[in-house]
Amino acid sequence: MARILRSLSVDGVTVTIAFVIMVAYFAIASPFFLSGENIRNLLVEATPIALIAAGLTYVLLAGGIDLSVGGVLGLSAGVAYWGLLQGLPVGVVVLLGITVGAVVGVVNGLVISGLGVNDFIVTLATMSMSFGLLAVLASSVTLAGAASEEFSEIARGAIFAVPTPVIIAVVLLALLEVILIKTPFGRRVYAGGMNPRAAELAGVPVRRVRFEVYVISGAVAGLAGVIQASRLNSVQDGLGSGYELTAIAAAVLGGVSLTGGRGSVWRTVVGALFLVSLSRGLQLLGVDPLWFTIVTGLSIIAAIAFDRIMQRVAASRATSRETPAAPMPPASVSEMTRV
Amino acid sequence: MNQSARQVSLPDRLSALIAKPSGGAVVLLIAICVVMPLTQPSFLTPDNWGNIINQMVYVLLLAIGMTVVLISGGIDLSVGSILAISAAVMADTINQGRPFIVALLLALLAGAVFGAVNGLLITKLGLPDFVATLATLGIGQGIMFLWTKGFPFIGYMLEDYYVLAGRDRLFGFIGAPVLIAAAVALVIAAVLRATRLGRHTYAVGSNRDAARLSGISVSRVKITAYVISGLLAGLTGVLLAGRTTTVSATMGIGYEIQAIAAAVIGGALLSGGRGRVSGAIAGALLLTVTYNVINIAGVSATWQQVFLGAILLLAVIVDRLGTLAYQRSLSRARVRSTATLA
Amino acid sequence: MAETSAAAGGAPLFEVRQIVKRYPGVAALTDVSVAIRRGQIHALLGENGAGKSTLIGVLSGITIPDSGEIRVDGEPVNIRRPKDAQALGVTTIHQELSLAPDLTVVENIFLGRETGKWGLINDRRMKEQVHQLCSEFGLDEDDMRRPVASLGALKQHVVEILKALVFDARLVILDEPTSGLADSEREALFEHMRALRSRGLSILWVTHRLDELYGLADAITVLRDGRHVATLDDPAAISPEDLVRLMVGGKASSPGAVAEEVGRTRWSGPQDEVLRLEGVSRLPVQNVSLTLKRGEILGVAGIAGAGRTELARLIFGADRREKGTIWINGMPAKIRSPRQAFKAGIALVPEERKTLGILGDFGVSKNISVSRLGGVALGGVLLDGGKESAVAAGYVRELGIKTPSVQQKIRNLSGGNQQKVIIARCLFTEPSILIIDEPTQGIDVGAKVEVYRLIYDFVDNGGAVIVISSELPELLRVADRVVVMREGQIAGEVDVHDNSGSDEDTRKTEEIMALAVRESVA
Repeated sequence: MARILRSLSVDGVTVTIAFVIMVAYFAIASPFFLSGENIRNLLVEATPIALIAAGLTYVLLAGGIDLSVGGVLGLSAGVAYWGLLQGLPVGVVVLLGITVGAVVGVVNGLVISGLGVNDFIVTLATMSMSFGLLAVLASSVTLAGAASEEFSEIARGAIFAVPTPVIIAVVLLALLEVILIKTPFGRRVYAGGMNPRAAELAGVPVRRVRFEVYVISGAVAGLAGVIQASRLNSVQDGLGSGYELTAIAAAVLGGVSLTGGRGSVWRTVVGALFLVSLSRGLQLLGVDPLWFTIVTGLSIIAAIAFDRIMQRVAASRATSRETPAAPMPPASVSEMTRV
Repeated sequence: MNQSARQVSLPDRLSALIAKPSGGAVVLLIAICVVMPLTQPSFLTPDNWGNIINQMVYVLLLAIGMTVVLISGGIDLSVGSILAISAAVMADTINQGRPFIVALLLALLAGAVFGAVNGLLITKLGLPDFVATLATLGIGQGIMFLWTKGFPFIGYMLEDYYVLAGRDRLFGFIGAPVLIAAAVALVIAAVLRATRLGRHTYAVGSNRDAARLSGISVSRVKITAYVISGLLAGLTGVLLAGRTTTVSATMGIGYEIQAIAAAVIGGALLSGGRGRVSGAIAGALLLTVTYNVINIAGVSATWQQVFLGAILLLAVIVDRLGTLAYQRSLSRARVRSTATLA
Repeated sequence: MAETSAAAGGAPLFEVRQIVKRYPGVAALTDVSVAIRRGQIHALLGENGAGKSTLIGVLSGITIPDSGEIRVDGEPVNIRRPKDAQALGVTTIHQELSLAPDLTVVENIFLGRETGKWGLINDRRMKEQVHQLCSEFGLDEDDMRRPVASLGALKQHVVEILKALVFDARLVILDEPTSGLADSEREALFEHMRALRSRGLSILWVTHRLDELYGLADAITVLRDGRHVATLDDPAAISPEDLVRLMVGGKASSPGAVAEEVGRTRWSGPQDEVLRLEGVSRLPVQNVSLTLKRGEILGVAGIAGAGRTELARLIFGADRREKGTIWINGMPAKIRSPRQAFKAGIALVPEERKTLGILGDFGVSKNISVSRLGGVALGGVLLDGGKESAVAAGYVRELGIKTPSVQQKIRNLSGGNQQKVIIARCLFTEPSILIIDEPTQGIDVGAKVEVYRLIYDFVDNGGAVIVISSELPELLRVADRVVVMREGQIAGEVDVHDNSGSDEDTRKTEEIMALAVRESVA
């Protein structure tokens, strides 16, 4: 029993096992589930979620939170589509969408790391502004009906039966994972989230890294918005709302710590696939898709509760083995200077 | 913070004013009230102010609950969902033909229970406050979508409801919701100021460990704060349902941002330990007046959400600058008190 | 077993007998017995790790002893939780105060025990109840209204003391209450302690500063390595030197003795100046000037709160200095962040390893490479795991770091090995100046020797080191020169180069102590 518990606490194992079990269950319950068509749809549907969750993972690893990803996705989709309607070339449209996301990321990063303002309130505010701007845009222009083959190809094309957005996502996600694991920048992201004070003294420019992850998160969400706009070939008021919840759920299911320093992109992606497969699987079984937000919310709670339990197991193992060098000081009391 | 002003220098006073809870909101409100009438004469009419007062009630009630939670060191993102669910409970119970009072009590109970669930998730399961309430926000919205299935609740506006809905106006312009909100504000202000519970709420938000060492049950205080927030959100739902006469699945979405904005503008600190009902009132008033100004100025209502986000962003930035100024003035005060001793 | 004389008559108010507390691998307390009488200021002395905190923990219900007995008024009692201790009238005032910063003085004093009916609070009555007491202890009307965060350290201490007084404490435990207080404030605090004594309260007082004891303590108990060394009923009869001897003893683990075992071949190259500070200031550091030469170990001494760590942070760029200039190798240096400091050839091994040093979830190799990732990256872009492991393995060998592998999470290593990893991290940046803040805090004897050897190796090969330490014997042995800080300033300098003999040690110790606390102890 203890051994099983231990192997479950290894990074990423739990969510992968859960994912495989679930897929197996749906495959038995509904033969259609593993059909090429369903898998293709599922992957395309998972693409924007996986992308924004991956960007969010950077922010979480660095010890922050970004609630604006859904709003950014919506706003970027809207602005990109508006650009398309203005007759801009597709390349420029894509860049436009990414830039809009990056700009929101810059605002987030400046206020959060520059001024030290509470991160989730700041991103809550920029989320509200993004959705608001999309509403303003959508109410003044009808964001639909652009007949651009090229733009549609972004989400609807396929190479060897693999949908283009999936290829884009796989390449980008792999890149994000490599940056995280294999570059000095990625290492600094982890270090800053793990213990900002120690990282700062070890020469990690913690504040700059924190700024940069918000820009990355914003830009990635912007790209996700462009893909979504291409997929729907229209953008409506409210596009992207609730995505932040799904993205956080994906990250948390993948075992990304909300306090920073623990997690990785591939685990978040598994979390995102888990959620999207769950929603599609339930639909195939005839469950009302409206259950989805409830399931998402519950899975966040369950995942964190599970994580807490695993940490307690790990901690109890550690203390039984570890030899404290000195007697434990009395429980320290939080600083008086905090106001 | 009415320290007797012995040897207080001007910069100290300035930073004290900025740092003063809700000081910024009051200054901004006065500025609006001075500038607006110059361009929009209709702004200062009794009718308009009657509207503002009647409109601000909903945000105010949520902001008061949010202030209590913020003081305790938490945050409640789920108030919008609680509001919607309570409204739906109210409408559904009435539509089932049960007495009005039963519906009202059930609706309030639903809010309180929802709040208790938040509190339990946070204190017993150890979820971070904002994640727990973000999750329950989503769950609540899901429940609303499932429950309504695209058909909003209607037809619950019995005559019993008219008073609560604010249709019968006293003195020609004040609706019952205003009086209810005023009563709630007084009660909560009294609880915060003069009861053990209130004192302990500040203590828990100010220094959890000190509170625990003093024998205060941190969990109980936090759960109570979330129950109060849930209860007030439920009450808001009841009042709002009377005003809108329909309860749709999307009811209440985005209200948490308004509530947080109002509370923070009112000087409640996100880090806990500070905040006041009077601040929440100032914050709610500022928000409502801003909407009103936008309206009168002829800006499309779709801009509201943009402004809301911008105001929240500004509020937290000012809050942060205020905190920094306050800390500086504190350390100056400490250096001075040391110096005078020497 | 030294016992207090029965001069006061009757059973002592609080008495611990034969207390034993073991942690895995460490005996924190062995057979410790102490008796505290009514109305007695009882000082508790001992070096770091002597067992003072554990004893306090036992009395305040935070630590449960493995065996032994606690008696109050001669009756055996059971203290298993902080609540039990409170019920017996024990109040512990820790260095980190347990006040709610946003609440006022009166609100804090009565926190959790507010008076009033039906859940209401009667603020006026509470205020009346403590008004007299507050003014006796120097808190005026204005202070009582303000949030305690805006009060100075002394007044915050007073609030804690009043909290104890109002609720009938019988024993007040003060854990280094004077650290962070100015001289005038310390005097005021001592007056308050006398006032408590005259009210019949007992005080168990932990302090590091011997000069404070005289004229105040009624009894002194000295602990060393978790054992009771002596209880002295007449503090006036013992000299500070004898007290130091009791505290340090001739024990093998004394850092001085340890350092002596490590041989040293001195740097024979040019002794050019590598670091110069002129008028460096940022509160609490004021106007500090000093120089450091190649091949030299400069010790920095001073009591807690003297600004030593803050000075190190200023040199290292972790805090921005407000005034003053820093020269490195004769060039004015613009260091505005630790990152720039590393680039300029300065490395810092911080104090409080757990919170400021280690990156707990990272393995040994990642902890070593983090300050110079460019050194393990291909073309400075892609991290080379093989190279990173090889670098780490090199240091593991060279510094004798005991770890199952270089991938092992640093959290799971012992304190001494963690410290060596942090030193390896610094060495990997190839610094010319190494600043080490409390190099041997919380690590075992064997590791201490190795840390000293690392320091020597570094300077003997042309580096320069600044060692900050609270343990004077350590500084006396390790450093060539010791500057003493007091209240943020350099109070003086003592040459400890080529020290020999314990007499000279004692003289230098006294010299440093005198500089650190102004009043001469001798």
